[in-house]
Amino acid sequence: MEPKAIFDLLTAHLGEGAAEYRENDIESWACVSVARIADACRFLRDTEGLEFGQLMCLSGIDWDGYDENGKGKSVAILGYEADGTPETSDRVADGELGVAYHLYSHTCDHKFTLRLRFPRDKATVPTVSDIWSTARWHEREAWDLMGIRFEGHPDPRRILLSEDWVGHPLRKDYQMPDQWLNVPLRGQPYANNPFAPADDAPAGDDTPAEG
Amino acid sequence: MATNDTRLTGWADQDHVPGLKSELLELNMGPQHPATHGVLRLLLHTDGEIVYKVTPVVGYLHRCAEKIAEGVDYKQWVVYTDRFDYLGPVTNNHAYVTAVEKLTELEVPARAEHLRVVTAELSRIASHLIALATFGLDMGAWTPLLYCFREREVILNLLERIAGGRMLYNYMVPGGVRYDLPQDNWVSDVLEFVTMLENKKLPDYNTLLTYNKIFIERTSDVAIIDRETAIDYGCTGPVLRGSGVQFDCRRNDPYSIYPQLDFEIPVGKGEMGTVGDCWDRYIVRVREIEQSCRIIRQALEQLPEGPVHAIELKKPVRVPAGAAYSRTEAAKGELGHYIISDGGTKPFRNKVRSCSFCNLQVIEKVGVGQMVSDLVAFVGSLDIVLGEIDR
Repeated sequence: MEPKAIFDLLTAHLGEGAAEYRENDIESWACVSVARIADACRFLRDTEGLEFGQLMCLSGIDWDGYDENGKGKSVAILGYEADGTPETSDRVADGELGVAYHLYSHTCDHKFTLRLRFPRDKATVPTVSDIWSTARWHEREAWDLMGIRFEGHPDPRRILLSEDWVGHPLRKDYQMPDQWLNVPLRGQPYANNPFAPADDAPAGDDTPAEG
Repeated sequence: MATNDTRLTGWADQDHVPGLKSELLELNMGPQHPATHGVLRLLLHTDGEIVYKVTPVVGYLHRCAEKIAEGVDYKQWVVYTDRFDYLGPVTNNHAYVTAVEKLTELEVPARAEHLRVVTAELSRIASHLIALATFGLDMGAWTPLLYCFREREVILNLLERIAGGRMLYNYMVPGGVRYDLPQDNWVSDVLEFVTMLENKKLPDYNTLLTYNKIFIERTSDVAIIDRETAIDYGCTGPVLRGSGVQFDCRRNDPYSIYPQLDFEIPVGKGEMGTVGDCWDRYIVRVREIEQSCRIIRQALEQLPEGPVHAIELKKPVRVPAGAAYSRTEAAKGELGHYIISDGGTKPFRNKVRSCSFCNLQVIEKVGVGQMVSDLVAFVGSLDIVLGEIDR
């Protein structure tokens, strides 16, 4: 089924105003209101003729600093200065966060994309892990790396980072850490490497090996 | 040590084995354990030999490659894809460049597409050989490991001759591949290897391992993933096909030159037990090696002349603004990239949907009620790579 036809069924179920359709040559998607996402997903999975049995991918997105004009002028992420200290910025992040759901139906062989957008300070969305079990880890990952909370998630822990990690690295305003558990994390150039050989160390043999 | 997990209280009060009082134990399998295929930690709650609860703990290899992607341009990130599934790196390259090309609509020269398919299928064979080898090792078969590694070595040498690296190749770029064929008899060497593998080596493995009575006893009817569970948990690749679902991105969501090629998609049929058991997942990989051999032969026969990349290699790629999810069939399953571009030379967001990440999760459900030794068989049959789970 074509995305537009799927969207028409979806919006008939959710009612006017709960979802918007964004036409695109490469990938069209439906922008759904945050409160109705679980309802929409359940409808897409259970309706005969749609049967989206598989959640292919669930991605957290930080839209902060996105260049809407498509000129590639988005705000750059923070890295490390030349001397190895973390970069800082006075800019206050105010962009929205988002989630994208990519669905696939094995029985009908069609795909569909749902997207959410919500303000940064209200980063909580209903879970879909009771609809697709695979969402459990995907949502844990989105919480871990993007800082989006999933309400009703049975196991809302971090998954890739350790429990005591501070911050969510994929946020655009994430500042690189200076150290972790007293291990310096400074991205120093090789010349400043504290473990580099001393100046008076015997010179190595630079000639390439034979053969 | 007895568990103090409050979610599990009440277990000891029940009479599981009549006349025997039992108690749940916490047991750590991994992260340093040869049967977990990398730094995977499985936290088990066991009652004697029976596993009551499995909690995988992952993330030991996490390097946040998705964050790195936002700081480097599209071409520079190809090297990071090599390091996801380091046993089948070229298939990862292929997934990523396909995703970038979906947004840019670059015309890839036909010769490059053919070389991509040949190298990716060689890489898939190498990955499957490791899967067979380590699965056999988990089951106590030592000899197939040596045999499979011997054949993999030939593939590593062939790929080294075309791409320069031994294990990590960085072979593809958006718009083509980096190098044309070497100026020697590479093509005939590949064909010779493929023929040898089909006619001599695979029958050897089948005799040694596939139809070995002990191996069948250890793997048939063990850890059955049924069709619904596999789809619900997002399993893909040989794990999904082992459960009897005929789905392969190369056929169902075609990319590159796969629509022109003639190959079959093997699925598990429950020949030695039930559909979706460990043996089915294993045999799907063996049969996929045969199909990969067929693909390689066809792609090399059709190999056209011409350039191997559409754009200048040193220039960064500028990708028009937009977002697209693209999926390809890597050795372990469906490898997807969700790329959001703002029109610049760096991705605004690059989400990687890795196959092992989704395949491993099913252990939380299917691992329950297994013997500890069967869990080893189960993890082996899933064929996970931690570099890809942790990214």
